[in-house]
Amino acid sequence: MKKKLRHLFRHRKNRKLNRSPAGNALLFFLMGIFGVLMAVPLVMIVNNALKPLDELFQYPPKLFVRNPTLNNFVDLFVAMNSSWVPFSRYVLNTVIITVGGTVGHVILASMAAYPLSKHEFKGKNLLFSMVVLSMMFSWTVTQIPNYMIISWLHINNTYWALILPACSFGMGLYLMKQFMDQLPNALMESARLDGAGEFRVFFRIVMPNVKPAWLTLAIFQFQQMWGNTGYMFLRDEELKPLQYSLQQIAAGGTARAGASAAVTFIIAAIPIIFFLICQSNVLETMTTSGMKE
Amino acid sequence: MKKRRLSLESKRKINGYLFILPWLVGFVVFYVRSLFMTVEFSLSDLQMDVVNGGYNLTWVGLKNYIYAFTAHGSFKQILTSSVLNMVVDIPLIIFFSLFMALLLNRKFKGRTLVRAIFFLPVILNAEAILDAIESATAMVATGVSAASQEVAAESAGIGMAYYIDLFGSLMLPKSVLEYIVGATDRITSIISASGVQIVIFIAALQSIPSNLYEVAKMEGATAYETFWKVTLPMITPHIITNIVYTVVDSFVSSDVVTLAYNEAFTNYNYGLSSVFSLVSTLVTCGILLLICGTITKKSSFYN
Repeated sequence: MKKKLRHLFRHRKNRKLNRSPAGNALLFFLMGIFGVLMAVPLVMIVNNALKPLDELFQYPPKLFVRNPTLNNFVDLFVAMNSSWVPFSRYVLNTVIITVGGTVGHVILASMAAYPLSKHEFKGKNLLFSMVVLSMMFSWTVTQIPNYMIISWLHINNTYWALILPACSFGMGLYLMKQFMDQLPNALMESARLDGAGEFRVFFRIVMPNVKPAWLTLAIFQFQQMWGNTGYMFLRDEELKPLQYSLQQIAAGGTARAGASAAVTFIIAAIPIIFFLICQSNVLETMTTSGMKE
Repeated sequence: MKKRRLSLESKRKINGYLFILPWLVGFVVFYVRSLFMTVEFSLSDLQMDVVNGGYNLTWVGLKNYIYAFTAHGSFKQILTSSVLNMVVDIPLIIFFSLFMALLLNRKFKGRTLVRAIFFLPVILNAEAILDAIESATAMVATGVSAASQEVAAESAGIGMAYYIDLFGSLMLPKSVLEYIVGATDRITSIISASGVQIVIFIAALQSIPSNLYEVAKMEGATAYETFWKVTLPMITPHIITNIVYTVVDSFVSSDVVTLAYNEAFTNYNYGLSSVFSLVSTLVTCGILLLICGTITKKSSFYN
C-alpha cells in the first residue's frame, strides 16, 4: 500500500514539474468521486443480471447480489428460442445495420470533410452552415418528412432505410473537419510533390493522422446504430434488429423480469466493449505532426 | 476530338467535389429535403387524406406563425426556458468535460476502464436500457417511490435554503449565487450529459503534436504555463465542436421538441408543430453563431 502511494506521488521527480503531491491526491480524489457516481448504474446492471428472482423483487433493492446465478440468462435463451424467426436472424440484421451505418458514415463523412477543410471551392461556407443547421433538426420532429422521403426512394422496409440516412448525417462531417483543420497544409503538399494523387493523400496521409478523430466518431456512430430499433421503417419480422427483439423480451413484464435484466446487461455490454477497443487504439496513436522544421 | 488538358487548379476542384459527392447526395436527399418540407408544412394547413392515403396541403401563409406567437398558450414560455437552460448548461458541461478529459488523458493504470465509466451515460441512454430500467424500478417500487421522492425534495429544499443563506452572508451577488446553486442542483444531469464531450476532448488532446510539449518542457515552462500556452490554444476549435454538440444534444431532448412532437402526433396539427421546430431551431442557431463568433475572435489559432 505504502509503496503504491509512493509510486502515485513520484511524478514530481521524473515527469512533470510543479505538480504537488497534494494536487495529485486531490485530482484523483475528485476523479474517484465522479467515477463512482458514474459507475453505479453499471454495477446495478451487472448485479441485476446475476440476481435470482427473489432478490430482483426485494424492497428496498440491494445494489450487490447475494447469491449470484446465471438463471436469468437461461430464461433469456428460453425466450429467444420461442421467438418467431430464428434468433440468429436478429443478430445478423443488427450486424449488417450497425457495421454498414458505422463504416459508411465514417468513410463518407471523412471524405466529405477533407475538401471542406483543405480545399477552396464555391459554396463551401453555405454547405457548412447547412450541415450545422441540419444537426439542429431533431429526428423526432421531422419524422413525417423522413418517412415520406424513405418511401419516395422505395427503400422502405429494407436495411437501406436505416443505413443511408445514418451515412450522411452532419455530426461526423463536423467533427472530422475540425480535426483536419489542424493538420498542417505542408504535410499534404509534400505528399503531392512526391506524386501522390488526392485519394492516396487522403487515405495514406490524412486519415492516419486523424485516427483519434475517426475512432471517436466510430464509437458514437456504433452507439447510435446499435440502439436503433428501426420501428418506423422495418416492418418484416425477418429484418428487425436485435435491439427490437430484446426490447420485446424486456417488455414482457413481471414474468420475464429475469430475462429482462439479462437483456439490459447484453445491450449495455456490447457498446462498452466496442468503446474499450476503440479507446485503447486512440491511446496508441500519439500523433506527431510528421513535420520537421 | 481534341482533349483539353485541365489545369492543376480545376483538377483539384474536381477532386474536391468528387470527395464530397457521395456524402452530399445523401445529405441533400435525406436532410435538406426534409428541411424544406418542414418549411413548406409550416406555411400550410396539412390534412391527412384518410381515403386515398397521403395528405393535402392548403397554403395559409404566415397564419401558423402568427398563431404560435400570439395565441398559443405556452410556446413562448417553453421556448425561453429551454433556451435559457441550454445557455446555462453549456459552460458547465464544457468546463466539466474539459477537466475530466485532462485528467483522463494522463497516464495511470486502468485508464481505459475509467474512460469507459465516464462514457457510460451515453451508452445507458439507449431506449431499450431506459425502458428496462424503468420497468424494473416500476415493478419494485410502485407507490413507495412517490413518498420517497417527497421526502427527498423536502430535505433538498432545506439544504438549498441553508446554503443560500450561508453564501448570501458572504456578500456574493444573488445571480452568481443562484447560478452556483442551480449548477449543484443539476450536477448529475451535467455529468451524464458530458460523456461524448469528454471523448471528443480526449481525441483532441491526443492530436496535439507531442513536440510542442517537448519544446515547452525544454524551455522550462511550468505545467500551468504549458496548459495555457499549448494545450488550450490547440484545443480551442474542439471547444467549439463540443459546444455545437452540447447544443444539439440538449436541444434534441428539450421541452420545445417535446411540445412540437405532441402538437404533431397527439393534436395532429402538423403545421403548427413545424413552426415550433423551425423557430426554435433558428433561435438555437443564432445563439450558437453568437457563442462561436466570440470564441473564434478571442482565440488566436496556431498553425
